[in-house]
Amino acid sequence: MQAYLYLLRLDMEQLARSWLVRIWILLLVGPAGFFVVVAANQRELASETLAAYVAAVLAPLSWLVVAVLSASAVNGEADVIADSILSRSVTRRAYIWSKFTARVGVFLAVYVVVTVPLVYLVLRFAVDDAAIEGIVWGLLTVASLLVFLAAFGIALSAIFRNMLASVLTVLVSTVASGAVFQFLALDWMSTTGVVSGLPETFRGEVSVAEQLRVLVVFGVLSVLATVFGIAWFRRKDL
Amino acid sequence: MKLAPSSLRRSLRAVRDDESTDGGRAQAAGEEAPAVATELAGRRAGPNYVVEAYDLTKIYDNRYIALNALNLRVRKNSVYGLVGPNGAGKSTAFRLMLGLQRPTAGEIRVLGRPMGAESAELRRRIGFLPTAPAFPRHMTPISYLQFVSKIVGLPAERAKIRMTTLLQSVDLTDVASQRIEGFSTGMETRLGIAAALMNDPELLVLDEPTYGLDPPGRRQMIELIRELSGRDRTIIIATHILNDVERVCTDVGVIAQGRLIYDGAMAEMRRLARQNSITVEIEGNVASFERRIPELDEPGSVRWERVGSEVRITFLRANAVTEYLKRLLDLVERSGVELLRLDTGTHEVEEAFLRRLEEDRSRGVLRAPDWAAQEGALEPGAEEADRGGGSRSGAA
Ligand SMILES: Nc1ncnc2c1ncn2[C@@H]1O[C@H](COP(=O)(O)OP(=O)(O)O)[C@@H](O)[C@H]1O
Ligand SMILES: [Mg+2]
Repeated sequence: MQAYLYLLRLDMEQLARSWLVRIWILLLVGPAGFFVVVAANQRELASETLAAYVAAVLAPLSWLVVAVLSASAVNGEADVIADSILSRSVTRRAYIWSKFTARVGVFLAVYVVVTVPLVYLVLRFAVDDAAIEGIVWGLLTVASLLVFLAAFGIALSAIFRNMLASVLTVLVSTVASGAVFQFLALDWMSTTGVVSGLPETFRGEVSVAEQLRVLVVFGVLSVLATVFGIAWFRRKDL
Repeated sequence: MKLAPSSLRRSLRAVRDDESTDGGRAQAAGEEAPAVATELAGRRAGPNYVVEAYDLTKIYDNRYIALNALNLRVRKNSVYGLVGPNGAGKSTAFRLMLGLQRPTAGEIRVLGRPMGAESAELRRRIGFLPTAPAFPRHMTPISYLQFVSKIVGLPAERAKIRMTTLLQSVDLTDVASQRIEGFSTGMETRLGIAAALMNDPELLVLDEPTYGLDPPGRRQMIELIRELSGRDRTIIIATHILNDVERVCTDVGVIAQGRLIYDGAMAEMRRLARQNSITVEIEGNVASFERRIPELDEPGSVRWERVGSEVRITFLRANAVTEYLKRLLDLVERSGVELLRLDTGTHEVEEAFLRRLEEDRSRGVLRAPDWAAQEGALEPGAEEADRGGGSRSGAA
């Protein structure tokens, strides 16, 4: 337990120091300010402004950053793991679980830190047409996509030895999955489907059942990816 | 990977006699591999052995057999040298010993318990130095040792004291707050050993501890290991340079092609493997000179090898070298050849023993090393094994 908490802290610190995370935050915050100013001046609808921000800035940028940071979490430090961590009194489970929790935790923290003030400012300065529950549902849905992407990436980084291979697999398979879901008429499961439905969601026009469906599906997928990643890593040769 | 015929293998296997508690441990050769395993399994009492491997086998994904039914036991409080050429499987054995990899077959027990990936509590009692250890590059020796003390669960106060002492004893105090990034291999090895000692381990596992060190650094490392040995600590050292650890090891195991081909007390091994030799370089009728070498001494007392115009004569028994030398010079005169060079010397364990193993490995056969021949268990066929090129050898 002590080793887990220490590794958790260490990985969070490592992420906080990472340039990629810093650039990610800057690139999220800058445009967010721009969106607020434009929405205030042009009397835009709050729901449309928020949805546009997610679609144009938050989703693509976070997709890239989260994919890279999660799919390189374990294999990116493979030699250090064997020589300095798992050859000492650390269990496999403690190590891999610290990676999952630290990375998902940091991603969610950045997400919340950026979106909550943005929502407040947009509701205040734009034309307020949004429903509070709608906004909560919408943000939760996007968060669940983010969590799944992270869990999937970390699982692959625990399975693949090659970092480039796991990062590319995450990027390509998430893009490809959109096309597949479209083809299967499962639009609601694809990222583009979720994002394009956001204005309605923010206005509270989407039923709870439909919202829940997305959350449950991505929640289950995240759990599956995590369980599989941990199980694999515990048996892996280092 | 080719296996030797069982008769050969039998003679290769020198199992240490466990009943004799004092230094005199006879070689009980003549055990079949499975018999050894059952014999060992029958007595897996534990507390006397810190590491026990039974038929330990590791086959990598690419089908490479790195460990081939390795049977190995390390006595409590001994300093055990695991010696073998590169690629013999030493590091693989260590990775299994630490639960970093899973054995394909067989069993590995450490400190009396089975070792596995989740055996964190067991690893708390072990210190491990990998070859060329990898560190988080951005850390400094201080922050790294702090990191290690945290994951082994050392109280902060004790960690501080230990860290200061250890940094001093591995001579890294001056660079203690510099980033590891710029360190030389030798500095990294020294930092690695400090890290391995943070938890004051009962068992210290060192994989090539002299890796990347210059000669003074090597001596210092050996001195450090000697200081660390003794009461309540067992040390296992893997190396391909036996000379480095010869003076600190109490026991030695020789590993080749994933098998333990010798296991016994260091003193015994030294006696068996250290050989006097004479090398002469001659001009003239070398072949006729060589034919007359057997006249010089009783059969079985020397063996020789000829490479071009050079003949190296190795003493298999404690021969009277001076007397032999006289007879040899006499032979030079009688056979009318010109003596160009004459060298005498003692092959250290490493040279006499490991070079031979390496030669055999490159020919793809496991052969009885000289100590087996010396004990009178010369295997038919071992000496006849043909040598390539312009060299041949024989035993007088
Ligand atoms: N992960 C691996 N996959 C495939 N082969 C390996 C792996 N690790 C080591 N080997 C091979 O196993 C053999 C033994 O390696 P090792 O245990 O490192 O030997 P040593 O430490 O005695 O030099 C070598 O031939 C090496 O190439
Ligand atoms: Mg090695």
